[in-house]
Amino acid sequence: MTVDTPVRSQQRSRVETAGAWTGLLRVPGIRTWGPFAVVVAIWALIAELELFPSAFFVGPGTVFETTVRLIERGILPSYIGDSLLRLAVGAGFGVVIGVALGFLIGLNKYARKFSWPMLLFFQAIGDIAWLPILIIWFGFSLTSVTLVIVYTVTFPLIISIVAGIDSIPQNLMRAAASLGAKRWRGIVEVVVPAALPGISSGIRTGLGYGWRALIAAEIIIGTSGVGFMMFEARRQGDVSHVFIGMVVLGALWYATDALILAPFEKETVERWGMVEGIGR
Amino acid sequence: MSLLSVENLNQVYTDAYTHEEMTAVGNVSFDIPEGQFISLIGPSGCGKTTVLNIVAGFIRASGGSVMLAGKPISGPGPDRGVVFQDFALFPWKSVEANIAFGLKMRGVDKAERKRRAREVIELVGLSGFEAKYPHELSGGMRQRVGVARVLATEPTMMLMDEPFASIDAQTRRVLQQEVLRIWEQERPTVLFVTHDVDEAIFMSDRVIVLSSRPSAVQADIEIPIPRPRTWSDVYADPAFVRIRRELMAMLGVDDDEKGS
Repeated sequence: MTVDTPVRSQQRSRVETAGAWTGLLRVPGIRTWGPFAVVVAIWALIAELELFPSAFFVGPGTVFETTVRLIERGILPSYIGDSLLRLAVGAGFGVVIGVALGFLIGLNKYARKFSWPMLLFFQAIGDIAWLPILIIWFGFSLTSVTLVIVYTVTFPLIISIVAGIDSIPQNLMRAAASLGAKRWRGIVEVVVPAALPGISSGIRTGLGYGWRALIAAEIIIGTSGVGFMMFEARRQGDVSHVFIGMVVLGALWYATDALILAPFEKETVERWGMVEGIGR
Repeated sequence: MSLLSVENLNQVYTDAYTHEEMTAVGNVSFDIPEGQFISLIGPSGCGKTTVLNIVAGFIRASGGSVMLAGKPISGPGPDRGVVFQDFALFPWKSVEANIAFGLKMRGVDKAERKRRAREVIELVGLSGFEAKYPHELSGGMRQRVGVARVLATEPTMMLMDEPFASIDAQTRRVLQQEVLRIWEQERPTVLFVTHDVDEAIFMSDRVIVLSSRPSAVQADIEIPIPRPRTWSDVYADPAFVRIRRELMAMLGVDDDEKGS
């Protein structure tokens, strides 16, 4: 019996044509830290040349020393902890609400007709545009911060889940129905996994927006947290704290991607060939 | 008694942009007795896929009746397994899980599903690929999964919508023979839609030719070529050459292999 050859992994042929540079990038440490090393080197060089006065621009060395001091005094860990907890609470609610509403709107045509104009309307009212009214209602409280994050996470999630459901190939649903899948079985067995690329990109976008909204909220109503730290430092003219805040924001997002989002996508949508490797 | 009976089937739809009424299927009637392999051919746009979709229950006919074993069709169901041109496999399920899907929907227990899936995998020649995901397979192998997924549930009818159209020419020949070999073992009733005249003759007991839009049955031709068939035998068969020429003329295709 003739058996056709399976498709070979595309990655292999990509590697075969690679030159020395790409070969170097395959070393795990270099691949991850190499680009940062270049940026840090340029940063150090600019600081070393004293192109800007040190009150405006500090080098990586100063930032590192200040970071160590802030960690020793417990300030940085506690601020990061505060920010992450707020994000986790807000994003947790946001994801639950967003996934539920996303599937409801994606699957029910009445829910869609009712809510779609509203979604577009509220999408335009950006996260921080809600802060004035939230502060009036809930004061400078954790509730206000959480609500802003829930809001920013929910909307992109709903929209990309609906788009994900809409882009499920018609024949996939037909195949399921002709194999005997009834409405609910079809949703569980086909719609949910087929919408996963939409869900994962929605969570990525939503979390990214939520993270930014958190910093904005902390700047305006914060009493602690990374955003608060940066803005306080600006008031006291301490540039190094501002720099630390920026580095921390980037590093935390990088960690979220590397530890949670990327592994999830690798095990699901990429494993199944539904999307190409994201950013790799 | 015929298993499937299609009577005065008519399908009209309204174009979403011009709001004009278009007649996809004019008036189509035919019967398929149990165990027969029937091909539906016709010029492109004649609505042959529409007929299959109506029989599958994916779309509702504007007029006429479709009866399966004496009962009218209302929606898709596992008694009619569909093999799609684009395979329509579930990307998140392994080969085995794709094939066992219909049984799972029917509530068959896990051990039995596995046993039956392995049996069909063996039959279609996919042993060793049970744990692969569809995107890791070639087009030809994907369609083997598509066929196996339908066979696993032992449907009353198999509906195949240009199943080999997106597969390369060499693999297509192999798959056609393979599907015939399997068909001879299991003998399901098959409605096979294709635009490939050679394929229609090679596979079928009968070839039904639809005219161009608004379509009606233009011809209904018995294929007297003995089974089991292989391509090398069929190509040399005088009946094949004669019917092929007849069908080509009917479809208005110039036969560039005249008298060969």
